[in-house]
Amino acid sequence: MTGMDAILHGGLQGYLVVALLLFALGLATVLLRRTLLMQFMGIELMLNAANVALLAFARFRGGDTQAMVFYLFIIAVAACEAAVGLALVIGLYRHRDTTDSDRAASLKQ
Amino acid sequence: MFITFALITLLGALGMLLQKNVIVAGLCMVATFFGVAGLFVLLANPVAAALQLIVYSGAIMVLVLFVIMMLNSHEEEKALARRPIQRWGSVILVAALAFGAVRLVQSSPGLKALGVSGAAMPPAMSLQTVGATLFADHLLGFEVAGLLLLAAMIGAVALTKRNL
Repeated sequence: MTGMDAILHGGLQGYLVVALLLFALGLATVLLRRTLLMQFMGIELMLNAANVALLAFARFRGGDTQAMVFYLFIIAVAACEAAVGLALVIGLYRHRDTTDSDRAASLKQ
Repeated sequence: MFITFALITLLGALGMLLQKNVIVAGLCMVATFFGVAGLFVLLANPVAAALQLIVYSGAIMVLVLFVIMMLNSHEEEKALARRPIQRWGSVILVAALAFGAVRLVQSSPGLKALGVSGAAMPPAMSLQTVGATLFADHLLGFEVAGLLLLAAMIGAVALTKRNL
């Protein structure tokens, strides 16, 4: 499996390309969308892209178990981030009546 | 199989980026998470696939959809300023980053060698080995992760409750 073949049929490079494109789409979502919830989903997408790359490397290095442990910790941190991030979005909506990040440019009321 | 799940993942992410309605974008993101879970199955890692479905599609996305419905703001608000330079600049930046990184991955001899030498399918990751590694080598990290989850839970309640 070399070159284009590895990318199309699930070689290591194929998984890495998928992870990179997923990361790029997540980054584009954070940069281009203004709704805080959409930006939050973009961040989740980027975290997922990192997970895909991590587990692809783990499988091609002979099924490394340490990577699974790291994946568990990443998922735990992502869950914490989701809870606190969404709570912050709700708090912002209560104070400003908006979820637009441009309209929340200053911390003062 | 690989190309199917890769397409589900990437088209879901693209749909999320382009979709105006936040709820539909959230559902596109569920498709992305399913695609990623499929990729994990192809990587001989059913444990990660199950976790992906339970935690991301099950917990996080349901939380996001609940918040979207609670806030009752399904459409993106009108922009205060158009900012064309920043928007086009970020599009070009992201496209250049993706293109450059993909080219780098494609042309890297080290990755090619690792892909060839690691092509033999390892035995599927079992929950037993993951648990043994987690509790034998990373017990402290596991406890800290539990503490972090507790702190996040208390923080989320404190942030959203009007008057404690």
